[in-house]
Order: sequence, then structure tokens, then C-alpha cells
Amino acid sequence: MRPTALLLALGLVAAACSGGGDDDGGGGAAGDEDTDAEEGTPTPGGRVVYGLEAETIDGWCLPEAQLAIGGIQVASAIYDTLTRPNAEGEYEPWLAESVEPNDDFTQWTITIREGITFHDGSELTAEVVKNNLDAYRGQYPPRQPQLFIFTFFNIESVEVVDPLTVQVNTVEPWVAFDAYLYGDGRVGMMAQAQLDDAENCATNLIGTGPFVLENWTPNQSFVASKNPNYWATDAEGNQLPYLDEIEYRPIVEVAQRQNALVSGEINAMHTSDPETIAELRDRAEAGEIGAYETTDFGEVGYVMLNVSQPPFDNILARQAVAHSYDFEEFNAILGAGILTQATGPFAPGSVGHLEDTGFPTYDPEEAERLVQEYEAETGRPLSFTYTTTDAQATVEQGQFLQQKAAEVGIEVDLVTVDQSTQIDLAINGEFEAIGWRNHPGGDPDRQFVWWESAGGDPPNPINFGRFDDQEIDQLLNQGRVTADEAEREQIYEDLNRRFAEQVYNVWISYSIWIVATAPDVHGVPGEGPTGPEPFPGLSTVGHQPEYMWVEQ
Amino acid sequence: MILRRLAHLIAVLFFVTLFVAMLTNLLPGDPVNSIAGFAPEEQKEAVRADLGLDDPVYVQYGRWVTNFATGDLGNYYSVTGGRPVMDRVRDSLPVSLQLIVEAQVLALVFAIPLGVVTAYRAGSRFDKWANAGAFGGLAVPNFALALVLAYYVGVVLGWLPVSGYVAPSEDLGEHLRRMALPAISLAVGQIAAYMRLLRSDMIATLQEDYITMAKSKGISPARVLWRHALRPSSLTLLTVAGLNVGVLIGGAVIVEVIFSLPGMGTLLFEAIQARQFVALQSLVAIIAIGYVLINFLVDVLYGVLDPRIRHGRA
Amino acid sequence: MAEPERDVAAEPLEPVTTLEPVDLDAATEILKPGAYERSAQARLGIGGRLAIVWLVLVVAAALLAPVLPLDDPNRSIAEIARQGPGTAGHVLGGDGLGRDLLSRMVWGARATLVLAVSSVGIGMVVGGALGLMAGYFKGRADTLLTGLFDVLLSFPGIILALTLVTVFASGAVSGGRRMVVLILALGVVSVPVLARISRASTLSWTQREFVMAAKAYGARNRSIMVREVLPNVLPAMFSIGLLGVAVVIVAEGALSILGIGVQLPTPSWGNIIAEGRTDLRNAPHIVFVPTIAIFLTVLALNYLGDIVRARFDVRESAL
Repeated sequence: MRPTALLLALGLVAAACSGGGDDDGGGGAAGDEDTDAEEGTPTPGGRVVYGLEAETIDGWCLPEAQLAIGGIQVASAIYDTLTRPNAEGEYEPWLAESVEPNDDFTQWTITIREGITFHDGSELTAEVVKNNLDAYRGQYPPRQPQLFIFTFFNIESVEVVDPLTVQVNTVEPWVAFDAYLYGDGRVGMMAQAQLDDAENCATNLIGTGPFVLENWTPNQSFVASKNPNYWATDAEGNQLPYLDEIEYRPIVEVAQRQNALVSGEINAMHTSDPETIAELRDRAEAGEIGAYETTDFGEVGYVMLNVSQPPFDNILARQAVAHSYDFEEFNAILGAGILTQATGPFAPGSVGHLEDTGFPTYDPEEAERLVQEYEAETGRPLSFTYTTTDAQATVEQGQFLQQKAAEVGIEVDLVTVDQSTQIDLAINGEFEAIGWRNHPGGDPDRQFVWWESAGGDPPNPINFGRFDDQEIDQLLNQGRVTADEAEREQIYEDLNRRFAEQVYNVWISYSIWIVATAPDVHGVPGEGPTGPEPFPGLSTVGHQPEYMWVEQ
Repeated sequence: MILRRLAHLIAVLFFVTLFVAMLTNLLPGDPVNSIAGFAPEEQKEAVRADLGLDDPVYVQYGRWVTNFATGDLGNYYSVTGGRPVMDRVRDSLPVSLQLIVEAQVLALVFAIPLGVVTAYRAGSRFDKWANAGAFGGLAVPNFALALVLAYYVGVVLGWLPVSGYVAPSEDLGEHLRRMALPAISLAVGQIAAYMRLLRSDMIATLQEDYITMAKSKGISPARVLWRHALRPSSLTLLTVAGLNVGVLIGGAVIVEVIFSLPGMGTLLFEAIQARQFVALQSLVAIIAIGYVLINFLVDVLYGVLDPRIRHGRA
Repeated sequence: MAEPERDVAAEPLEPVTTLEPVDLDAATEILKPGAYERSAQARLGIGGRLAIVWLVLVVAAALLAPVLPLDDPNRSIAEIARQGPGTAGHVLGGDGLGRDLLSRMVWGARATLVLAVSSVGIGMVVGGALGLMAGYFKGRADTLLTGLFDVLLSFPGIILALTLVTVFASGAVSGGRRMVVLILALGVVSVPVLARISRASTLSWTQREFVMAAKAYGARNRSIMVREVLPNVLPAMFSIGLLGVAVVIVAEGALSILGIGVQLPTPSWGNIIAEGRTDLRNAPHIVFVPTIAIFLTVLALNYLGDIVRARFDVRESAL
């Protein structure tokens, strides 16, 4: 558990609060909105060129990779994960035939599907799965994972039982281990040859997935062709994938990505930029494009406060900032009016989500009063430095925060840094407040690593805000070992309320993602692992490309 | 003469590389914290040893130059280890070179006729308008032009793509379509500069005795203009075009970023954003050395090809 | 572009400038005393006057920003976000964050001018002094200094500037520090340019009788340099300095686009453009207003630079 381990791969793309929610209520798994209402029957063939928001410059040596959503999208073309969430966000076996815990959740048995081969012709065996899992948890020497060591520290050992069975023993009971096997799409199974590839593990990709890597030119294109031997079929029994080829193109500027889609240069894209989403919705309504968007299981954008030092070691200061933030105005100016306010870390659809957690809302008078109280108590004016990435959207958000704080008498210095520096500062605790986005939906136990007390033993170096909260620890540990649904829900709702009460973070909004396509491209939602209903967590994990098809 | 220039070239190259190689030593604080701040102590030590940051300056310099000369441009540092900068440069350098050459060709194609005609018709209405236009053209920052073109031509009119790159070997037509707006953004300032240069140069040439002689021999004005008058001036123009590559390089960095062309400018931009100082070093070195060499070649060619111009002028 | 002016003599080829290329011999010719009496009648004309009016306006705006009846440049008003010019009460409309664009332009002029004038000022003082020394003492000092200028000039200016800014002021630095580093970096870029002008000019002036005479009377070198040579070198420096200011204004824009310009929320013309890029589709005025301001300012500076320079330009009159 060295601080290094921390790097953000898992979910933590420190993009800061450019989040979203939905404007049509959401809730449950019903928040998806699919304008391809009458999709028709999938036809095989064709090609999709997909505009991504970013390149994954470090490649896809999965245990070592840091995948943001664009990287996950690509990984899902090449690799399969052992489990996959269904429409309700429950994890079901995918590449595995079954994933079963013992009674007290200290031992998980993974049975693998028979006869599955990697793109290089090698077989998927229990041995390979074990090596993969060991690679993720840092016990397979050629691979040097960083964050995953931390994520999987609760694994005691991984054993091969027979050629198709792997047994995982945990240190503590682990109810949500099946969610970790999915890892938000990041825990794919690589072939033995890739696992052992010292030089080109990041670029010579060998998975079992629906597409086979043809050619990757960083920052230009990632081309993958149909895997003719893909093991999966759709709910009707048709061979997957439908497409002959998929090409991913990173187009960082969102306006350019939209232009490219409209002009036909590409025929699919994704984005979380609220204004672009609003425009794409209009285009979809006019029938110019297809659009799929979901509101559930999203990440939350927030201002993370460092509570280990002034001013935010004082709850008055934290509350004052929270009360100063005018979400309505933020939404009107920078959110295209389509964002929903976040009052806690769990997005709609996730276990633990609450409409109202009691989190402080915009109230400038109260904020001013708190500022005065803080100043009276400490004898210092309330001021802090806000650090954010240098992306356009986050800098604008930072300036907005700065203005609003100034209006209630809080002085904010704005510091913009590149993303890796930002992560660096977070790990080292060299910040007072920092723009952040994290905590994608799915099983809430996945957040354990981010929130366990900073001052525990051993200390948790990726509790970046450095809060030490016995109550939170207790709830996290309870949640980890509790199997009963209702009980778990209660636990995570309590956790949510605790966050609201203590204001360790200033929650802003839930991220919102849209996938827009040319009118003749369909199948974005895909299907679930065991039925036609897909997991709607687009925000977190993208979608499965094997279900995309083009009208022929 | 050439020997003296060569000595000069070597001296300049020495200091340029010295400056670039020492960049990491200029970083505030312990350079390792800037280069690999994310890393735990042991990894930082590895980076420190790898780069030899504790070695004496001359050892560091020697190593850097040797590595650079053998194509080892260092690594991008990240938590997942290093990735060679060379891998990226190999793909990106051609893109930038294409952009610069295409912008240059475009500029010359427009500037030469304009320069010749305005010189021939110096003082005419066309001349005045062309001059005013050129004067305006010089005041348009290329990034502003790039943004305006991206908006009007790319977005409002939708005539040309505003992003992405296609290699000429893959599809020449598509390549040119995608390079059009970036190249125009770069070329406009050059057109203005070259036109003004050619105009004033040719006005001077047209007053030389041999032109008067040619005219008096009854050679047609067009022939005099294009054959006899343009030839000496064209050499000046080529020289200037060569020297101007520095301007184009600077402009290309910004224009590539605006149009998302995966060239050296985009690499530089990424290196700045991600504070990849080792990559920054190599990229800056490639650009500066390229620029120095081009200047040197142009200088030599200028002297070798036509000393008459040099003396004729003074 | 965004290349700082390099050398009036050898390769004055930056698109934003108007210098006609001349070779070094011709340049020294130009700078010979007597040349400028001949063309001293270079006149302002209507264009020149317009240029002066515009520049006075910009400078006045920059100086008076705090007392002008403007909105707070850092206050968002949701209603005017991305609204174009002509919005009631907001002549130029609002920017992407709903801040009054006029106010940001006026305050932006302040940051932009401070940056441009300071960095060119550094170039004038340091470059001027070094050039003066090189040209006056000749010999080894000259070789050494000229070599230094050559090395600095072998980086395309914008590349040198962005390298220096990245090394010294990227990452977690305050806005004030960023500004200082920007000024110094662009100052470093302009030093060799102005130094070469100063040197070339000094070289020719030190040949003159009155300088020789002063030497013969035993005047000290420093006093000759300051009293006799410097006043004659200054006009040439000044004309190039004007162009330099234009070049730095453009360079700041370029650096802003690369994310290393003046630190927000302090507005500068460059960072208004950089910020407006993402709204280009819906609110092109955010990019166009500062673009036009930069264009006019560069045009005015170039025009005046031309006029000032015409006083030295034998070639123009010889044609």
C-alpha cells in the first residue's frame, strides 16, 4: 500500500466536476433513452468509426493500464471480463460459466466456459485466469500493476482447482467480489503471451473479445476487425459481433468530434459535455442522428476538500463553501441546464442513492454567516487554493467556484495543472481543494478503497481528502460483509448521509454520457449478460461494441 | 567560407544541444520530482540513475548527445513505466514536415504571381490593393485565422474537415482536403511576406541595365519579366523561404493543435500539458537542430549559387 | 508566426512584421548616418493617425480599466452567457461563463499590454546594452556576444518561449508567478533580436567623426556610449520595439492556446480567445472580438513601425 499504488487507474480520472445527471428523472434502471426506437433486425457486416474523447496513450496492458472511459471502450472490443453487470446492476458471469461464493463469502469459485480461445489461438484455461488475477494483484512478477494491487488487497490466494476452475480465497469476507471481477470493464482477461510480453504488453493486445487488433497508431486510430471465432451470440442466437470492423479515433475537442459525426467522417461518438449533449439531443430529435444516453450509475463531479489541514479541517469552512455554490446558476451557464444536482456520491440507480441526503444547498446568507463564524473562531480570513486540470471545462468550473465563493467573502486562488500533476498533488495531499470526478455506480463496495480512513493502520494513501471517520469505516466494513440487500441499502444510505453531514466533499453533479451515431448505426445499448436488457451504466463503462450494427 | 560557416554551425549546434540537455537541470527543485513526481522513492531513484541526474554536467551532456544521435529520445514517464519518445516522433515528424512543405508551396504559388505582377505594375491600383491586402495579411495571427477558417469553412459552410489526418500514401485527395485549412492558416502570412519581398526585389531588378538591354532587343515584356527578371529574384525568394521555416515551425505547433493534426506540435502540446520534460527536451532539440540545419543549408546555397546577388546589391 | 522579430538585417521575415528582407551589408548601409535625413519627411498620413488613435484608445482602456464604468470582469451573469454583441447593457455580449465581454476585453488589454511592453522593455534594455557593448568594444566581446545571440536565435522564438514557460511555470504555480515567467521568457526571446539591431547600429555610429573626436579628447568609454552613441541607436531600437510589442501580443495568444498564457481568471486577449474556442460554434463572437482587437493592434503597430523605420530606409527612397 505505497502511495504509488495509487494512481488512478481505477475510475479515478481526475477530470473534476463536469458531470451530469438526467433531466428526465431517472431512477431505477429505467433512465435510458433510446431514440432508435424501431431498430429492426441486426444485419452483419459494415464498419463503425467511433470518435473517442481521449487516447489511452499508455496502451492496454490491462493490469498496468490506466483506463478512462475511452480506454474502457476500446478494451471492451478486445477483451472479455469474467463477469458483467445486468440491467439491475447485478453481476452475472460472462466469460466465466459461473462465479459462486461460499456461505461466508471468504471463498469464490470461478468456473470458466469451455473451449474459448484467445486471438492467438491459445486456450482460456484456469491457469491463465489465475495468472491474470495474480497479475492484477501484483503477484505475477513480470507485471507491475499499481492501483490494482490496492483494489485486490483483500485476495489471500488464487488457486487452480482443475483446468476450468479457479478458487479465490479472501482475507476478509467479500460480498461484492464479483463486481471487482468486472472492475468497471477494466479487468479483462489477457492471453498468456501478452501477460508474459516484457516489451510490448501495452501494444500487442491478445484477448478473447469480439474484435482482433489490426493496427494502432496512437492519437490517430485503433483498428480492430471482427473475431470470426467469437464465442458469444446475441439473445436470439446470432453470431457476434455484427460489424466487420471497428475503428476508434481519438478526437479530443468535443466540437470537432461532433462536427466529424455530422459531416459523416465518423459514425459514432461519445461525450459527457453538457452543451454538446444538449445539441446532440436536438439533432436526434430532428432525426439527423441516433442517440443513446443513460442517467444511471454515473460518476459524481465534486470539489474534494483536504480535511487534514486548515481551512478545511474546520467543518464551518466546508459548510460555507457548500452553501456558497449556486448549482442552479452553474447548471444554467455551464451545464446547458441538463445536469442534476448531486447530494451524495451515489448516482441514481446505485445502491445507497438518495434524492436528498441533507447536503447543504445554495444559501449565500448562511454561507456568509459561516464564514464570519469561522473567522471569529480561528482569527483567520477564510481563503483557499482550488486546484483543477487545465481542460477548458474544468477551468471554467473553477472560475465559477471562485466567483461564488468571493460573493460570500471567501477568497479562492485558482491553480490549473495538467492531469498527471493533479493526481500527484492529490496523492501527496498537496492541495486544499481540488476538482475531482469519481465513484462510478455499480456496487458501492467498489468505493471502499477511496474512503477507508486515511489514518488507519496501515494508512490509506488514496483517501485523498484524508478524512478519518470511524463511522464511515464501520459502514464500509459492514457493507463489505453484508449480503442482505435491504441491509446493504441501509448501510450505504447511512454512509451517504454521513458524507452530507460532514461535508468532506462538495458534491456538484452526476456525470452524464451520450453515445451518438449516424442514423444507420444501431445497437449501442447492447444486451445484458443473460438477457436482452442491457446495463445502463454508460457513464462508467461505455457499452459493448459487439452489439453495434450498420444497416446494409 | 564554407569552412567558416561549418565551424559556426558546429558551435551553434553545440550550444543549442547544451541548452536543451541542461533543461532538466533548470527545473525548479529536484528535477526528479518534476519528471516523475508520481513515483515512489525507489522508482524516482531509478529515474534519477537512468537519466544520470547526479552526474557532472559534462557527463550528462555527453550521454544526452550520444543518445539523441543514436535515436534514443528518452521516455515518456508514467506510472506504467517509460514509453520511448521515438515511437511517437517517428509517426509525427512526417505530418509536420508535410504541413510545412504544403504551406510553403501554397504560399509560393500565390506569392510569386502576385509579386511579379505588382512589381511590373508598381503604383497601379491593383498594386495598391494587393499591397494593402498583404499588409493586412501580415497582421493576422495564424491561430486566429485557423479558428476563423475552422468556424466558417469547416462548421458554417461544411466544405472541409476540421480535424484528423490521413497520410498521403493512404489517400492523397483526402490528405490534401484535411491539410487544406491548416496549410492555408499558415500560408497567408507567408504569402504576404513573400509577395512584398518579391515585389521590392523585382522593382530593383527591373531597373538594372541588362533588363533595359533585353527590352531594347525587342524581347516581349512577359518574357523579360518571367525569364530575365524573376530568375535572380527567385533565388532571394527561395533563401527567404528557407529562412522562414522557423516561422512556419512556430506556427505549425499552434495550427496542429487547433486542427488536431498528429504532428510534432501536437506532441509538444501533449508534453507541455503532461509536463513530460524529457520528451520536451527531445522535441525542442529536434526542432531547433532542424531549424539550424535548414538555415545553414540556405546560407550555403545562397553563397554558392549566386554570389552576384550578394555583390550586386551592396 | 508569433515569432519575435529577429533581425532587421538578415531575416526579418516574420509574417506579423513588415520588414523587408535585406542582407546584412544592405542593413549596415541603411543604418549609416545621413541616410535618415534624406527620408526624414516620412509622414504619418491618415493611416498613421488612425493607428495612433487606436493605440491610444487601447492604452487608455488598459490604464483606466479600474475607473471605467464597467461590470466586474469576473462576475457571471447567467443571462448573458454566450450572448452576442448588442445584448442590453452588454455591448459586446457575454463570454462562455456569462461575464461581460467588454469588461474582459478592457481588463484583458491591461494584462496583454503589461506583458508585451514589459518583455519588449527587457529586450530593449538588456539587448540594447549588450548590443551596444558588442558594437562598441568589438573584438572578443563582440564575438562572444554575437555567438550568444546566434544561439538564442537558433530556436524558433515561440519554441524557446514555450520551453522556458513550461520549465519554470507549469504545474501548480500562482497567476503572479506565471505572469513574471511569461514576461521573462518573452523578454529572453526578444533580447537577441534587439541586441543585433543595437549592435549593427552601434557599429556604424562608432565610425562617425563626433565619436572619434570624443575618444580623442579622452572621454571615458561609458560616457561616449551613453552620451554619443546611445541616443542615435535608440530610434532604430524603438521602431523594432514597436514591432516587438505586436509580436509579443500574438505570442501571448499562441501560448494561451497551448494552455500556458496568462493565468485565468485574469483576462488577457489571448486567453479570452483560448477560452472562447470551445464556444466557437455557438458563440463565435467570444473568439472574434479579441481576434479583431489583436489584428487592429498589430496592424497599427506595424504601420507605425513602418513609418518610423522609413526614416532609416535608404532603399525605399533609392528605388
